[in-house]
Amino acid sequence: MADARVERLADVVVAYSTAVRPGDLVVIDAGPAAAPLVRETYRRVLAAGGHPQVHSTLEGALETLLQEGGDDQVEWISPARIEEVERADVRIVFDAETNTRTMTGVDPARQALAQRARKHLGDRLFARAAAGELRWMVTLFPTHAAAQDAGMSLAEYEDFVYRAGFLERDDPVGEWTAFGDRLAALAEQLETFSKLRIVAEGTDLTVGVGGRRWVASRGRENFPDGEVFTGPVETATEGTVRFTFPGSFQGRVVEGVELRFEGGEVVDASARRGEPFLREMLAVDEGARRIGEFAFGMNDAVTEFTLNTLFDEKIGGTMHLALGKAYPETGGLNASALHWDLVCDLRRDSEVYADGELVYRDGRFVNGAG
Amino acid sequence: MRDPRIEQLGRLIAGYSLELREGQVVRIDGYDVAAPLALAVYRAAVQAGARPYANLLFDGLHELLLEEGTDEQITFISPVQWAEVEAIDALVTIWSETNTRSFSRADERKHGAFIAAHRQLSNRRWERIAKGEMRWCGTLHATNAHAQDADMSLDEYEAFFHAACHTDGPDPEAYWRSVAESLGARAAQLASVRELRIVGPDTDLTVGVDGRTWIAADGRYNMPDGEVFTSPVETETSGEIRFSFPGVFNGREVDDVRLRFEDGRVVKAEASEGEAYLRELLALDDGAGALGEVAFGLNYELDRFTRNILLDEKIGGTMHVALGAAFAEAGGKNSSALHWDLICDLRAEGEVYADGELVWRNGAFVADPEPAEVAVAGERG
Repeated sequence: MADARVERLADVVVAYSTAVRPGDLVVIDAGPAAAPLVRETYRRVLAAGGHPQVHSTLEGALETLLQEGGDDQVEWISPARIEEVERADVRIVFDAETNTRTMTGVDPARQALAQRARKHLGDRLFARAAAGELRWMVTLFPTHAAAQDAGMSLAEYEDFVYRAGFLERDDPVGEWTAFGDRLAALAEQLETFSKLRIVAEGTDLTVGVGGRRWVASRGRENFPDGEVFTGPVETATEGTVRFTFPGSFQGRVVEGVELRFEGGEVVDASARRGEPFLREMLAVDEGARRIGEFAFGMNDAVTEFTLNTLFDEKIGGTMHLALGKAYPETGGLNASALHWDLVCDLRRDSEVYADGELVYRDGRFVNGAG
Repeated sequence: MRDPRIEQLGRLIAGYSLELREGQVVRIDGYDVAAPLALAVYRAAVQAGARPYANLLFDGLHELLLEEGTDEQITFISPVQWAEVEAIDALVTIWSETNTRSFSRADERKHGAFIAAHRQLSNRRWERIAKGEMRWCGTLHATNAHAQDADMSLDEYEAFFHAACHTDGPDPEAYWRSVAESLGARAAQLASVRELRIVGPDTDLTVGVDGRTWIAADGRYNMPDGEVFTSPVETETSGEIRFSFPGVFNGREVDDVRLRFEDGRVVKAEASEGEAYLRELLALDDGAGALGEVAFGLNYELDRFTRNILLDEKIGGTMHVALGAAFAEAGGKNSSALHWDLICDLRAEGEVYADGELVWRNGAFVADPEPAEVAVAGERG
């Protein structure tokens, strides 16, 4: 018997996030642990008239490839991937890791190589999404590994995950629609500003956002969701930022990241843990040293840090920025094989000024927006 | 801890069965329970310089498709799969089930439609294999479901399976090279036979094989392997045969199948259990009522029936015939969506005559092939 919340998550994924229509080719990639969610999603895709095509991730394959393969093998992309990016109407990813640290022992340069080689796939996906040809989404199925990172039991973590998606409420889709509308109003307001200055402990960062679009992230591409984001002006980021939360990225943890920007570019970078990886990622390509995304986390049902970006970046009262690729719908131009979100807690002793005016303090917009 | 037998099997498939070379694209198919072997094949392929990728399915989804999908969804073949068929140089199919009976109660019409639709893909695949454009190997990853069907514990079943693959020994590849040689010689010897007559309990069947090519199944297309087979002349099967082992197709069992052939076609079919399913399979299409294969099982590590055709058809001392699709490389012409192997145990009591001469008795050929013929067999690619 499936957890009723898993069924509701599948409802939201198929009916709301990706809105599957008759005849859609729906490609689902999932870790084997996500089987219960895959099953419920599969039957809903069928009921919606779609054609589900599901792949279970072969765990261990990527480490094997990066550790034992030659460069040409690491750079190679399977015909299935290439075709799917072109043919899929909907692409769904269920993150369900059994071990979030599997890549810790892998040479970061190999990861960077793999990352670069897959850039054009990501570009194609986002281009097709921007053209309205494809809908994509990522969500998480709770596993022990993710619970362990969050310092919780699996049952506690499940509660956390489903609460973050409003799945314990009567009408999750209605809730997401209403929340999305509130975020859209905030996004509209943010579009009137040209510069944001973020001040917090170890952080005094100015980001140019003039002329860029702010997007309300309402549970479509990510679930759970709840943020407003933009693609900042590529050359206008100045100052220092200290990321209070450790980040889990590509199967390894990086902690205590501090970056200094000049003219939009990272000129100084350090980390308490994982600094070689940080440096390797910054060197992935030209665009990896610039910011592709700046965002405020707005989901107040996510209060705890759990070492998972999908959740951490949505915590109400945080901001995050991503090194690398910008989302085209924001007007952001930065191109990169990288898109690495780093999260900063602003719930305490923090302020944000928009064109000199205080708009946000200690995790809240002061005018009541959001 | 990696099971060294699984690692050996991965290397055997990549190195011996598929002879993977640098740059070749190899897809690994199976259910997610096959992950340990899939990873072993993947690793061996990476080490060979090839380009592997896994195509693992969640189990239970095809059952849902048949239960809840429309006909259009059931018969849908994704354009991605079509593209893949053309793009890959090699395919490994790992049969590995968590429940071998999941399809037992599926709607038979829908199941038939699903199989027929997917046959388009497999036909194209076989076309490319026959032209030498791609390689294929089918193997198995031991699970409790397979062990249960074989009346064994998982531990026993794993030992049984790896013994049959010789992946429990020091040099599986050398073993299979020697099998290739001896089976090649046997195939060469059978090439001159015009007609086989199989005689056993309730069985007296004549099968025309004149002009057909016998093929040594030596671990390239299947692992484990160990048979010699051909595709009989389509119009020349006559007589009766009773299959001592149950016939298993898509997880369904048909017991005590008895068939009568006239001029190559089944004219009478009976079974003590599952007769309706037997008739349904025979009526699947035109070619389903004729033989596409006749073969000798020669893997003597396989000494018992396990309800898994990959293994059972190779049981040393048995013969099997398949209803349905023939092998083009054997010269067979019968075309069908069906290829259903049925096995006849000839170990206790059974004789086979080749053009009137006794060649097989009680589970073994009566004589080794002539050494001269070994050389001929060696020339086969």
